[in-house]
Amino acid sequence: MKDRISALMDGELDDRSASELIGNLAHGSENAGAWREYHLIRDAMRGTAPLSEGFSARVAWKLAEEATVLAPQRTRSRPASDSPRWFTLSAVAASFAAVALVGWLAFAPQQPAPAPVLAKVQPAVEAKPAMVPMPSSANDYLLAHQGFSPRVSLQGMAPYVLTVAEHPAEARK
Amino acid sequence: MKLGAYALALALVSGAVQAQAPETLAWLRKMQDAAQKLSYSGTFVYQNGSRSETSRITRFVEAGGDIEKLEVMDGVPREIVRTKDTVRCYLPGARLVKVDRRTERGFPALLPERISAVAKNYDISLGETRRIAGYDCQAVVLTPKDNLRYGYRLYADSASGMLLRAVTFDANGEQIEQFMFTQLAIGGVTRDMVRPRHASRSWRVEDAEASPARLAGWGLSSELPGFHKVIELKRRLSDSRPASQMVYSDGLAAVSVFIESLEGRPEPVRPGLASMGAIHMYTREVANHVVTVVGEAPAASVQRIANAVEYRRPQ
Repeated sequence: MKDRISALMDGELDDRSASELIGNLAHGSENAGAWREYHLIRDAMRGTAPLSEGFSARVAWKLAEEATVLAPQRTRSRPASDSPRWFTLSAVAASFAAVALVGWLAFAPQQPAPAPVLAKVQPAVEAKPAMVPMPSSANDYLLAHQGFSPRVSLQGMAPYVLTVAEHPAEARK
Repeated sequence: MKLGAYALALALVSGAVQAQAPETLAWLRKMQDAAQKLSYSGTFVYQNGSRSETSRITRFVEAGGDIEKLEVMDGVPREIVRTKDTVRCYLPGARLVKVDRRTERGFPALLPERISAVAKNYDISLGETRRIAGYDCQAVVLTPKDNLRYGYRLYADSASGMLLRAVTFDANGEQIEQFMFTQLAIGGVTRDMVRPRHASRSWRVEDAEASPARLAGWGLSSELPGFHKVIELKRRLSDSRPASQMVYSDGLAAVSVFIESLEGRPEPVRPGLASMGAIHMYTREVANHVVTVVGEAPAASVQRIANAVEYRRPQ
Protein backbone atom coordinates (compact mmCIF):
# COMPACT_ATOMS: atom_id res chain seq x y z
CA MET A 1 0.00 0.00 0.00
CA LYS A 2 2.78 2.41 0.94
CA ASP A 3 4.42 1.69 -2.39
CA ARG A 4 1.22 2.70 -4.11
CA ILE A 5 1.02 5.94 -2.14
CA SER A 6 4.58 6.70 -3.10
CA ALA A 7 3.76 5.90 -6.74
CA LEU A 8 0.74 8.20 -6.55
CA MET A 9 2.93 11.02 -5.24
CA ASP A 10 5.22 10.37 -8.18
CA GLY A 11 2.26 10.54 -10.54
CA GLU A 12 3.08 7.03 -11.72
CA LEU A 13 -0.30 5.38 -11.20
CA ASP A 14 -2.72 5.07 -14.08
CA ASP A 15 -5.98 7.01 -13.86
CA ARG A 16 -8.03 4.12 -12.49
CA SER A 17 -5.60 3.07 -9.75
CA ALA A 18 -5.08 6.71 -8.85
CA SER A 19 -8.85 7.29 -8.49
CA GLU A 20 -9.23 4.17 -6.37
CA LEU A 21 -6.36 5.10 -4.10
CA ILE A 22 -7.47 8.70 -3.79
CA GLY A 23 -10.94 7.43 -2.93
CA ASN A 24 -9.46 5.18 -0.30
CA LEU A 25 -7.38 8.00 1.15
CA ALA A 26 -10.30 10.40 1.06
CA HIS A 27 -12.46 8.05 3.10
CA GLY A 28 -10.18 8.51 6.03
CA SER A 29 -8.34 5.22 5.85
CA GLU A 30 -5.27 4.78 8.03
CA ASN A 31 -3.23 5.37 4.89
CA ALA A 32 -4.22 9.00 4.86
CA GLY A 33 -1.75 9.36 7.72
CA ALA A 34 1.01 7.84 5.60
CA TRP A 35 0.10 10.22 2.75
CA ARG A 36 0.48 13.24 5.04
CA GLU A 37 3.64 11.90 6.63
CA TYR A 38 5.31 11.28 3.27
CA HIS A 39 4.68 14.84 2.23
CA LEU A 40 5.92 16.14 5.54
CA ILE A 41 9.15 14.11 5.30
CA ARG A 42 9.78 15.23 1.76
CA ASP A 43 9.14 18.88 2.60
CA ALA A 44 11.50 18.62 5.55
CA MET A 45 14.24 17.12 3.40
CA ARG A 46 13.79 19.78 0.77
CA GLY A 47 13.62 22.55 3.34
CA THR A 48 10.19 23.68 2.11
CA ALA A 49 8.54 25.95 4.65
CA PRO A 50 5.45 24.39 6.24
CA LEU A 51 2.11 25.72 5.01
CA SER A 52 0.17 28.12 7.15
CA GLU A 53 -2.67 26.81 9.28
CA GLY A 54 -5.90 26.18 7.43
CA PHE A 55 -4.15 26.14 4.07
CA SER A 56 -5.93 22.99 2.85
CA ALA A 57 -9.29 24.40 3.81
CA ARG A 58 -8.57 27.62 1.94
CA VAL A 59 -7.40 25.75 -1.16
CA ALA A 60 -10.52 23.56 -1.01
CA TRP A 61 -12.67 26.65 -0.75
CA LYS A 62 -10.91 28.34 -3.68
CA LEU A 63 -11.27 25.20 -5.76
CA ALA A 64 -14.95 24.98 -4.96
CA GLU A 65 -15.23 28.57 -6.21
CA GLU A 66 -13.69 27.76 -9.59
CA ALA A 67 -15.03 24.54 -11.05
CA THR A 68 -11.69 23.12 -12.18
CA VAL A 69 -10.81 19.44 -12.00
CA LEU A 70 -7.21 18.51 -11.47
CA ALA A 71 -5.41 15.21 -11.70
CA PRO A 72 -1.83 14.20 -10.96
CA GLN A 73 0.57 14.93 -13.76
CA ARG A 74 2.14 11.74 -15.02
CA THR A 75 5.91 11.93 -14.99
CA ARG A 76 8.29 9.58 -16.73
CA SER A 77 9.69 6.97 -14.44
CA ARG A 78 13.29 7.60 -13.55
CA PRO A 79 16.17 5.14 -13.18
CA ALA A 80 16.30 3.26 -9.92
CA SER A 81 19.72 4.75 -9.19
CA ASP A 82 18.03 7.90 -7.94
CA SER A 83 17.36 8.39 -4.25
CA PRO A 84 14.01 7.16 -2.84
CA ARG A 85 11.83 7.79 -5.78
CA TRP A 86 9.27 10.12 -4.35
CA PHE A 87 12.05 12.54 -3.46
CA THR A 88 12.66 13.08 -7.16
CA LEU A 89 9.10 14.17 -7.73
CA SER A 90 9.09 17.67 -9.09
CA ALA A 91 7.50 20.28 -6.91
CA VAL A 92 4.96 21.01 -9.62
CA ALA A 93 3.86 17.39 -9.81
CA ALA A 94 3.69 17.36 -6.03
CA SER A 95 1.41 20.33 -5.95
CA PHE A 96 -0.74 18.75 -8.66
CA ALA A 97 -1.05 15.61 -6.61
CA ALA A 98 -1.77 17.47 -3.39
CA VAL A 99 -4.27 19.78 -5.02
CA ALA A 100 -5.89 16.82 -6.77
CA LEU A 101 -6.59 15.17 -3.44
CA VAL A 102 -7.90 18.33 -1.85
CA GLY A 103 -9.92 19.00 -4.99
CA TRP A 104 -11.40 15.53 -4.92
CA LEU A 105 -12.36 15.97 -1.29
CA ALA A 106 -14.05 19.21 -2.15
CA PHE A 107 -16.08 17.67 -4.95
CA ALA A 108 -16.75 14.27 -3.51
CA PRO A 109 -20.06 15.07 -1.85
CA GLN A 110 -21.59 16.72 -4.91
CA GLN A 111 -20.82 14.36 -7.73
CA PRO A 112 -19.49 10.89 -8.64
CA ALA A 113 -15.78 10.60 -9.35
CA PRO A 114 -15.29 12.70 -12.47
CA ALA A 115 -13.10 11.62 -15.35
CA PRO A 116 -9.71 13.16 -14.50
CA VAL A 117 -8.86 16.09 -16.72
CA LEU A 118 -5.37 17.50 -16.71
CA ALA A 119 -5.77 21.17 -16.19
CA LYS A 120 -2.94 23.41 -17.30
CA VAL A 121 -1.82 25.52 -14.40
CA GLN A 122 0.70 28.30 -14.75
CA PRO A 123 2.10 28.80 -11.27
CA ALA A 124 2.39 32.49 -10.42
CA VAL A 125 5.54 31.81 -8.45
CA GLU A 126 8.04 29.32 -9.83
CA ALA A 127 8.09 26.06 -7.93
CA LYS A 128 11.23 25.55 -5.89
CA PRO A 129 13.49 23.43 -8.08
CA ALA A 130 15.47 20.37 -7.12
CA MET A 131 19.14 21.23 -6.57
CA VAL A 132 21.47 19.10 -8.71
CA PRO A 133 25.25 19.09 -9.21
CA MET A 134 26.68 20.96 -12.19
CA PRO A 135 26.01 18.92 -15.36
CA SER A 136 29.07 17.14 -16.74
CA SER A 137 29.05 19.46 -19.76
CA ALA A 138 28.84 22.58 -17.57
CA ASN A 139 32.14 23.95 -18.87
CA ASP A 140 31.07 23.48 -22.48
CA TYR A 141 27.87 25.39 -21.84
CA LEU A 142 29.81 28.15 -20.11
CA LEU A 143 32.38 28.43 -22.88
CA ALA A 144 29.58 28.64 -25.44
CA HIS A 145 27.68 31.14 -23.31
CA GLN A 146 30.45 33.44 -22.15
CA GLY A 147 31.24 34.69 -25.66
CA PHE A 148 27.83 36.37 -25.80
CA SER A 149 27.86 37.91 -22.35
CA PRO A 150 28.23 41.70 -22.60
CA ARG A 151 30.03 41.79 -19.27
CA VAL A 152 33.10 40.44 -21.08
CA SER A 153 33.33 43.79 -22.85
CA LEU A 154 33.89 45.49 -19.49
CA GLN A 155 35.76 42.77 -17.66
CA GLY A 156 37.89 41.34 -20.40
CA MET A 157 38.07 37.58 -20.23
CA ALA A 158 38.21 37.24 -16.44
CA PRO A 159 34.73 35.58 -16.35
CA TYR A 160 36.12 32.88 -18.65
CA VAL A 161 37.87 31.46 -15.61
CA LEU A 162 34.58 29.68 -14.90
CA THR A 163 34.67 27.86 -18.25
CA VAL A 164 37.63 25.78 -17.11
CA ALA A 165 36.52 25.41 -13.49
CA GLU A 166 37.00 22.06 -11.81
CA HIS A 167 33.61 21.09 -10.45
CA PRO A 168 33.54 19.13 -7.20
CA ALA A 169 30.92 16.83 -8.73
CA GLU A 170 33.31 15.89 -11.51
CA ALA A 171 36.24 15.42 -9.17
CA ARG A 172 34.28 12.77 -7.25
CA LYS A 173 33.77 10.63 -10.34
CA MET B 1 20.04 71.92 -4.61
CA LYS B 2 18.67 73.77 -7.58
CA LEU B 3 20.66 71.49 -9.83
CA GLY B 4 19.16 68.48 -8.09
CA ALA B 5 15.65 69.78 -8.65
CA TYR B 6 16.49 70.41 -12.27
CA ALA B 7 17.88 66.91 -12.69
CA LEU B 8 14.75 65.47 -11.09
CA ALA B 9 12.51 67.46 -13.41
CA LEU B 10 14.56 66.36 -16.37
CA ALA B 11 14.30 62.77 -15.26
CA LEU B 12 10.55 63.02 -14.95
CA VAL B 13 10.23 64.64 -18.35
CA SER B 14 12.61 62.55 -20.36
CA GLY B 15 12.02 59.13 -18.85
CA ALA B 16 14.15 56.60 -17.12
CA VAL B 17 16.83 56.15 -19.77
CA GLN B 18 17.89 59.77 -19.83
CA ALA B 19 17.70 59.95 -16.05
CA GLN B 20 21.13 58.31 -15.81
CA ALA B 21 23.67 61.06 -15.35
CA PRO B 22 25.86 61.40 -18.45
CA GLU B 23 28.84 61.20 -16.13
CA THR B 24 28.04 57.64 -15.05
CA LEU B 25 27.39 56.47 -18.60
CA ALA B 26 30.72 58.02 -19.57
CA TRP B 27 32.34 55.84 -16.90
CA LEU B 28 30.92 52.71 -18.52
CA ARG B 29 32.34 53.80 -21.87
CA LYS B 30 35.67 54.60 -20.29
CA MET B 31 35.83 51.11 -18.77
CA GLN B 32 34.96 49.51 -22.06
CA ASP B 33 37.58 51.56 -23.92
CA ALA B 34 40.19 50.54 -21.38
CA ALA B 35 39.19 46.88 -21.73
CA GLN B 36 39.70 47.17 -25.49
CA LYS B 37 42.70 49.43 -25.84
CA LEU B 38 45.06 48.68 -22.95
CA SER B 39 47.84 46.13 -22.83
CA TYR B 40 48.25 44.82 -19.31
CA SER B 41 49.28 41.88 -17.20
CA GLY B 42 48.14 41.09 -13.72
CA THR B 43 46.92 38.59 -11.17
CA PHE B 44 43.30 38.40 -10.13
CA VAL B 45 41.26 36.39 -7.68
CA TYR B 46 37.83 35.02 -8.45
CA GLN B 47 35.83 34.40 -5.33
CA ASN B 48 32.37 33.04 -4.58
CA GLY B 49 31.44 32.02 -1.08
CA SER B 50 34.36 30.19 0.48
CA ARG B 51 35.81 29.28 -2.90
CA SER B 52 38.54 31.36 -4.48
CA GLU B 53 40.83 30.84 -7.42
CA THR B 54 43.85 32.85 -8.54
CA SER B 55 44.53 33.47 -12.21
CA ARG B 56 46.93 35.46 -14.31
CA ILE B 57 45.66 37.55 -17.18
CA THR B 58 47.79 39.09 -19.93
CA ARG B 59 46.52 41.26 -22.75
CA PHE B 60 48.52 42.30 -25.79
CA VAL B 61 47.13 44.92 -28.15
CA GLU B 62 48.44 45.59 -31.64
CA ALA B 63 47.03 47.05 -34.84
CA GLY B 64 45.98 43.65 -36.18
CA GLY B 65 43.82 42.91 -33.16
CA ASP B 66 44.46 41.86 -29.63
CA ILE B 67 45.33 38.64 -27.86
CA GLU B 68 44.38 37.89 -24.30
CA LYS B 69 45.60 34.99 -22.22
CA LEU B 70 44.22 33.70 -18.94
CA GLU B 71 46.10 31.12 -16.90
CA VAL B 72 44.60 29.44 -13.85
CA MET B 73 47.28 29.36 -11.13
CA ASP B 74 45.54 26.97 -8.72
CA GLY B 75 45.10 23.28 -9.43
CA VAL B 76 45.66 21.90 -12.92
CA PRO B 77 47.34 24.67 -15.02
CA ARG B 78 44.57 25.45 -17.48
CA GLU B 79 44.94 28.20 -20.08
CA ILE B 80 42.55 30.15 -22.25
CA VAL B 81 43.72 32.29 -25.16
CA ARG B 82 41.35 34.65 -26.92
CA THR B 83 42.11 36.31 -30.23
CA LYS B 84 39.84 38.66 -32.18
CA ASP B 85 37.38 35.93 -33.11
CA THR B 86 38.45 32.70 -31.39
CA VAL B 87 38.71 31.34 -27.86
CA ARG B 88 40.91 28.31 -27.22
CA CYS B 89 40.88 26.46 -23.90
CA TYR B 90 43.98 24.35 -23.26
CA LEU B 91 43.25 21.56 -20.79
CA PRO B 92 46.46 19.67 -19.97
CA GLY B 93 44.65 17.11 -17.78
CA ALA B 94 42.68 15.83 -20.78
CA ARG B 95 45.32 16.84 -23.40
CA LEU B 96 42.49 18.68 -25.08
CA VAL B 97 42.02 22.02 -26.84
CA LYS B 98 38.45 23.35 -26.97
CA VAL B 99 37.90 25.87 -29.74
CA ASP B 100 35.05 28.34 -29.91
CA ARG B 101 34.97 30.66 -32.94
CA ARG B 102 32.92 33.71 -33.70
CA THR B 103 31.83 33.54 -37.29
CA GLU B 104 29.45 36.44 -37.55
CA ARG B 105 30.99 39.19 -35.49
CA GLY B 106 33.47 39.73 -32.74
CA PHE B 107 32.77 39.64 -29.04
CA PRO B 108 29.97 41.81 -27.75
CA ALA B 109 30.73 45.40 -27.00
CA LEU B 110 28.63 47.78 -24.98
CA LEU B 111 27.55 49.77 -28.00
CA PRO B 112 25.54 52.95 -27.41
CA GLU B 113 22.25 51.13 -27.97
CA ARG B 114 23.32 48.51 -25.47
CA ILE B 115 24.20 51.16 -22.94
CA SER B 116 20.65 52.46 -23.24
CA ALA B 117 19.40 48.89 -22.69
CA VAL B 118 21.57 48.73 -19.58
CA ALA B 119 20.17 52.06 -18.40
CA LYS B 120 16.61 50.74 -18.87
CA ASN B 121 17.23 47.78 -16.58
CA TYR B 122 19.68 49.21 -14.06
CA ASP B 123 20.11 52.43 -12.11
CA ILE B 124 23.67 53.53 -12.70
CA SER B 125 25.37 55.68 -10.09
CA LEU B 126 28.82 56.58 -8.89
CA GLY B 127 29.89 54.94 -5.64
CA GLU B 128 32.85 55.20 -3.32
CA THR B 129 36.46 55.73 -4.31
CA ARG B 130 38.91 53.11 -3.11
CA ARG B 131 42.50 52.06 -3.63
CA ILE B 132 42.84 48.61 -5.19
CA ALA B 133 46.17 46.95 -6.05
CA GLY B 134 47.82 50.36 -5.94
CA TYR B 135 45.30 52.13 -8.19
CA ASP B 136 42.88 54.83 -7.09
CA CYS B 137 39.54 53.48 -8.23
CA GLN B 138 36.07 54.90 -8.73
CA ALA B 139 33.11 52.60 -8.10
CA VAL B 140 30.25 52.57 -10.59
CA VAL B 141 27.18 50.85 -9.19
CA LEU B 142 24.59 49.19 -11.41
CA THR B 143 21.54 48.53 -9.26
CA PRO B 144 18.88 46.39 -10.94
CA LYS B 145 15.42 47.92 -11.23
CA ASP B 146 13.78 44.57 -10.48
CA ASN B 147 14.79 41.23 -8.96
CA LEU B 148 15.23 39.48 -12.32
CA ARG B 149 18.91 40.41 -12.50
CA TYR B 150 21.92 40.89 -10.29
CA GLY B 151 23.56 44.19 -9.40
CA TYR B 152 27.20 45.05 -10.06
CA ARG B 153 29.73 47.25 -8.30
CA LEU B 154 32.55 47.97 -10.73
CA TYR B 155 35.75 49.61 -9.52
CA ALA B 156 37.76 51.24 -12.30
CA ASP B 157 41.12 53.01 -12.21
CA SER B 158 40.29 56.72 -12.16
CA ALA B 159 43.12 57.50 -14.58
CA SER B 160 42.83 54.75 -17.22
CA GLY B 161 39.35 53.31 -16.70
CA MET B 162 40.81 49.82 -16.27
CA LEU B 163 38.44 47.59 -14.26
CA LEU B 164 40.20 46.42 -11.08
CA ARG B 165 37.33 44.83 -9.20
CA ALA B 166 33.84 43.65 -10.10
CA VAL B 167 31.39 42.59 -7.40
CA THR B 168 28.08 40.90 -8.22
CA PHE B 169 25.34 41.34 -5.62
CA ASP B 170 21.79 40.06 -5.23
CA ALA B 171 18.50 41.76 -4.37
CA ASN B 172 19.45 41.86 -0.66
CA GLY B 173 22.77 43.51 -1.44
CA GLU B 174 24.60 40.29 -0.54
CA GLN B 175 27.78 39.63 -2.48
CA ILE B 176 27.42 36.66 -4.85
CA GLU B 177 30.87 36.64 -6.39
CA GLN B 178 33.75 38.95 -7.20
CA PHE B 179 36.73 39.33 -9.47
CA MET B 180 39.56 41.43 -8.09
CA PHE B 181 43.05 42.23 -9.31
CA THR B 182 45.65 41.84 -6.58
CA GLN B 183 48.44 43.03 -8.88
CA LEU B 184 48.28 44.83 -12.21
CA ALA B 185 50.81 46.41 -14.56
CA ILE B 186 49.48 48.45 -17.46
CA GLY B 187 51.67 48.29 -20.58
CA GLY B 188 54.95 46.45 -21.05
CA VAL B 189 53.39 43.36 -22.67
CA THR B 190 55.08 41.53 -25.55
CA ARG B 191 53.57 39.08 -27.99
CA ASP B 192 55.52 36.21 -26.47
CA MET B 193 53.72 36.70 -23.19
CA VAL B 194 50.35 35.77 -24.69
CA ARG B 195 51.43 32.60 -26.49
CA PRO B 196 49.83 29.43 -25.13
CA ARG B 197 52.28 27.51 -23.01
CA HIS B 198 50.69 24.15 -23.65
CA ALA B 199 50.16 24.28 -27.42
CA SER B 200 50.95 20.81 -28.68
CA ARG B 201 50.07 19.11 -31.92
CA SER B 202 49.34 15.82 -30.24
CA TRP B 203 46.41 17.22 -28.27
CA ARG B 204 42.87 16.48 -29.33
CA VAL B 205 40.97 19.46 -30.74
CA GLU B 206 37.26 19.94 -30.13
CA ASP B 207 35.85 22.63 -32.39
CA ALA B 208 32.38 23.90 -31.47
CA GLU B 209 31.76 24.83 -35.13
CA ALA B 210 29.33 27.47 -33.99
CA SER B 211 27.38 29.23 -36.71
CA PRO B 212 24.29 31.43 -36.66
CA ALA B 213 21.13 29.55 -37.60
CA ARG B 214 17.38 29.85 -37.44
CA LEU B 215 15.99 27.32 -35.01
CA ALA B 216 12.69 26.18 -36.46
CA GLY B 217 10.00 25.60 -33.87
CA TRP B 218 11.93 26.56 -30.72
CA GLY B 219 11.27 29.68 -28.75
CA LEU B 220 10.00 31.14 -25.49
CA SER B 221 6.29 31.31 -24.74
CA SER B 222 7.08 34.61 -23.04
CA GLU B 223 10.33 36.54 -22.73
CA LEU B 224 11.68 37.63 -19.38
CA PRO B 225 11.16 41.39 -18.90
CA GLY B 226 14.21 43.31 -20.12
CA PHE B 227 15.80 40.27 -21.80
CA HIS B 228 15.75 40.14 -25.58
CA LYS B 229 17.02 37.55 -28.01
CA VAL B 230 20.50 38.39 -29.25
CA ILE B 231 21.32 35.44 -31.48
CA GLU B 232 20.37 31.86 -32.40
CA LEU B 233 23.00 29.37 -33.46
CA LYS B 234 23.97 25.76 -33.96
CA ARG B 235 27.10 24.36 -32.37
CA ARG B 236 28.73 21.25 -31.03
CA LEU B 237 29.36 20.47 -27.39
CA SER B 238 31.81 17.90 -26.05
CA ASP B 239 31.94 14.58 -27.95
CA SER B 240 30.64 16.47 -31.02
CA ARG B 241 27.11 16.48 -29.62
CA PRO B 242 25.05 18.82 -31.80
CA ALA B 243 23.20 21.54 -29.90
CA SER B 244 21.16 24.62 -30.61
CA GLN B 245 21.69 27.79 -28.63
CA MET B 246 19.54 30.88 -28.16
CA VAL B 247 20.99 33.85 -26.27
CA TYR B 248 18.95 36.45 -24.39
CA SER B 249 20.46 39.58 -22.85
CA ASP B 250 19.36 42.64 -20.90
CA GLY B 251 22.36 44.63 -22.11
CA LEU B 252 24.66 43.48 -19.32
CA ALA B 253 23.73 39.98 -18.21
CA ALA B 254 23.08 37.16 -20.65
CA VAL B 255 21.23 33.85 -20.48
CA SER B 256 21.77 31.05 -23.01
CA VAL B 257 19.28 28.31 -23.81
CA PHE B 258 20.86 25.07 -25.07
CA ILE B 259 18.71 22.45 -26.76
CA GLU B 260 19.97 18.92 -27.40
CA SER B 261 18.21 15.80 -28.61
CA LEU B 262 17.64 13.11 -25.98
CA GLU B 263 18.57 10.41 -28.49
CA GLY B 264 21.94 8.79 -28.01
CA ARG B 265 22.54 10.66 -24.78
CA PRO B 266 25.14 8.78 -22.74
CA GLU B 267 23.75 9.64 -19.32
CA PRO B 268 20.25 10.24 -17.94
CA VAL B 269 19.03 13.82 -17.69
CA ARG B 270 19.04 15.21 -14.16
CA PRO B 271 16.39 17.89 -14.13
CA GLY B 272 16.93 20.69 -11.65
CA LEU B 273 18.99 23.69 -10.74
CA ALA B 274 22.77 23.93 -10.32
CA SER B 275 24.70 27.03 -9.36
CA MET B 276 28.23 28.41 -9.23
CA GLY B 277 28.61 31.98 -8.03
CA ALA B 278 26.37 34.18 -10.16
CA ILE B 279 25.92 31.44 -12.77
CA HIS B 280 22.81 29.30 -12.64
CA MET B 281 22.03 26.29 -14.79
CA TYR B 282 18.55 24.84 -15.04
CA THR B 283 17.87 21.56 -16.84
CA ARG B 284 14.55 20.15 -17.97
CA GLU B 285 13.08 18.02 -20.74
CA VAL B 286 10.95 19.55 -23.47
CA ALA B 287 9.54 17.68 -26.47
CA ASN B 288 12.06 14.82 -26.35
CA HIS B 289 14.95 17.23 -25.95
CA VAL B 290 17.00 18.29 -22.98
CA VAL B 291 16.94 22.02 -22.41
CA THR B 292 19.75 23.58 -20.36
CA VAL B 293 19.50 27.25 -19.49
CA VAL B 294 22.72 28.93 -18.39
CA GLY B 295 23.31 32.49 -17.32
CA GLU B 296 24.66 35.03 -14.85
CA ALA B 297 21.20 35.76 -13.46
CA PRO B 298 19.25 34.86 -10.31
CA ALA B 299 17.96 31.29 -10.11
CA ALA B 300 14.34 32.40 -10.56
CA SER B 301 15.17 34.23 -13.80
CA VAL B 302 17.02 31.26 -15.26
CA GLN B 303 14.19 28.98 -14.17
CA ARG B 304 11.54 31.26 -15.67
CA ILE B 305 13.30 31.28 -19.02
CA ALA B 306 13.71 27.49 -18.86
CA ASN B 307 10.03 26.97 -18.08
CA ALA B 308 9.06 29.24 -21.00
CA VAL B 309 11.02 27.19 -23.55
CA GLU B 310 8.59 25.52 -25.94
CA TYR B 311 8.57 23.67 -29.21
CA ARG B 312 5.89 24.33 -31.81
CA ARG B 313 5.93 22.15 -34.87
CA PRO B 314 6.74 24.49 -37.75
CA GLN B 315 3.73 24.88 -40.06
